[in-house]
Amino acid sequence: MSTKPDIRWGYAFNQWKQGWQGFARVEDHIRAFKATSAAGFHQIELTAFPGPWDPVGRPESIAINFGSVRKFAMQLPDWGIDRVSSVFLDVGQLSFEDLHFGLLPTQRGQHEAIFRQARLHAESIAEMGGECLVVAPFPHFWKEGALNAERMQAAADCWNAVGAMTKSLGLHTVLHLDALSALRTTAELDQLLSLCDASCVNLAFDTAELTIAGHDVVALYRRYHERVRHFHFKDALAVDTLGEYQLPHAERAMILAGGERKIPRWFGELGTGLVDFPGLLAAMNELGFNGLVIVESDKGPAPVMSSVLLNSWYLQHVLKVLPRPL
Amino acid sequence: MTENTPNLRWAYMDHWRVDSPQGYVSQYSSIERLDSFLKQVASLGFEAIETFDFHLPVLIDLFGSLPNARAFMQERGIDRVLSLFFGIMFDDRQTQPHLRSTHDNILRYAEYVVKSAAGLGVENLIVMPAAQYHAVEPVSDDKLRACAEVWSRVGKMTLEHGIRTVCHHEFYCGIHHLEELRKFYSYADPRYVFWYCDTAQHKIAGVDPVSLYLELHDRCGGFHLKDTHHVDLLGDYRQRPESEVTARTTRRWFWEMGTPEGLVDFENLFKAMKEHGYKGWVSVEHDKADFGGNYPESTAVASWYIQNVLKKIYR
Repeated sequence: MSTKPDIRWGYAFNQWKQGWQGFARVEDHIRAFKATSAAGFHQIELTAFPGPWDPVGRPESIAINFGSVRKFAMQLPDWGIDRVSSVFLDVGQLSFEDLHFGLLPTQRGQHEAIFRQARLHAESIAEMGGECLVVAPFPHFWKEGALNAERMQAAADCWNAVGAMTKSLGLHTVLHLDALSALRTTAELDQLLSLCDASCVNLAFDTAELTIAGHDVVALYRRYHERVRHFHFKDALAVDTLGEYQLPHAERAMILAGGERKIPRWFGELGTGLVDFPGLLAAMNELGFNGLVIVESDKGPAPVMSSVLLNSWYLQHVLKVLPRPL
Repeated sequence: MTENTPNLRWAYMDHWRVDSPQGYVSQYSSIERLDSFLKQVASLGFEAIETFDFHLPVLIDLFGSLPNARAFMQERGIDRVLSLFFGIMFDDRQTQPHLRSTHDNILRYAEYVVKSAAGLGVENLIVMPAAQYHAVEPVSDDKLRACAEVWSRVGKMTLEHGIRTVCHHEFYCGIHHLEELRKFYSYADPRYVFWYCDTAQHKIAGVDPVSLYLELHDRCGGFHLKDTHHVDLLGDYRQRPESEVTARTTRRWFWEMGTPEGLVDFENLFKAMKEHGYKGWVSVEHDKADFGGNYPESTAVASWYIQNVLKKIYR
């Protein structure tokens, strides 16, 4: 039985960070908070980012640049942002501070390090009044190949432990499947969900990533809606019809270099690509979606703000879910 | 009008350009680029744009007619082209406001522009009422009277087409010192000549736009809200060939509202507007925001400032 929908709109903050050392100053972040707020988004999802060049990439960085995590959360409304709703953590990325070059949730020997890193960010999210830790649950396909029962079980155990920890902090853990993930099929997704604790580990659907991977997002949502707690809304401009997710270093070879077809850009602004957003929103309303919808720019052309504004326009004038700002 | 109906509507004076595979180009170069521009401006709450008269032909080229162009804008949340900036070529031989011999030409050209603009919903013809300072000086009373005469004639004509003539004083304009402004508006016919308050231009020229608004509020036909970090202390207004882009002291004069270094007192301007019951359009302008920045971000920051500071004073 469906319940009344409660959709909380936010914007991802990852598009501002371009290159390791760009966008490193606090004043640039304050300007970006204001600009995001002006476009009608008052909640933001941060991305965990290592090193000293991102003032909001880690709790220690936030403390150095803003005084403390709590103080940062208190200051955000001055810039038009109500709260940090969530943090995206990809443990497959290297981390100087956590002393690794990328961890694999499918390997039990790495679970302790993953848990430590996840807890660091989860405690910060809780302190900022957020509600979700968004994680990449599996390595990209090219790293280990297809999933098997052993690796599936190991990853599920990893995220169940993280989920229990986040639950104790009043948060939810959501698993974000991307276009390059080792998890490819609905059969694998069924298996994963049967192994994960529904009280604390559920799904984040990224509309573009799933479309690129060949899924019909609306149909997929209807099938898994009871386990979908979080969305990333962005459009997909092409589908990986050649199975290039299997290429070595597919993050570079397929996404950034465009693969054999030289796809110039995989992700687009809402309404410019293949995702049926009106159909998806209708399904979310019908099925009583309760959670965050984080709109993402993700690797658009400069200037960064254009993509945010075009997405805002779509939400105001097509989906009619955001009010006109002035 | 109910108590909750806003007194102010927001417009955007357009200087944008866009990056493209063919370089840095005008957003009027294709329907797709114009579509993107209009959506971005509308997304921040602006309901109208202002642009230059030389964009009229390309709008007809893109859409077949100006009513078609306006319909395209309205589908994206932009109701009208509120104002056209009159791109007069200041030249002693042809169109020079302080030279009476050229006044008939100015009037004919202005009439051609306002007639050509039919169908866009234009309400204002924005003019710089005198050429650059170096082309006008010494600025005598007689030259100021000549300028007032021609814009009074133009203003009477434009009003017959439903369009007001509003004067916009660049800091390098032949009329920008306080005494010049006072004399010009005392000579110009108040029925036909209105003042467009460009906050940054006046501030750079050493004139406080808030005090000027308090003096000229009954002549005020609108605003270009933008900020500056610098006042012209050394006479950059005389710089040839053009002070806005070649001044030796200052590479970038104009900034969006909401930067920490901004010098314009927008809060007191809005208190003054409230006190005098200003009702109508207010425009935001970002002129040369791409000198070390970009238009979408500057426009978003300005919208933030309106939403979080100015609307709390007067809306």
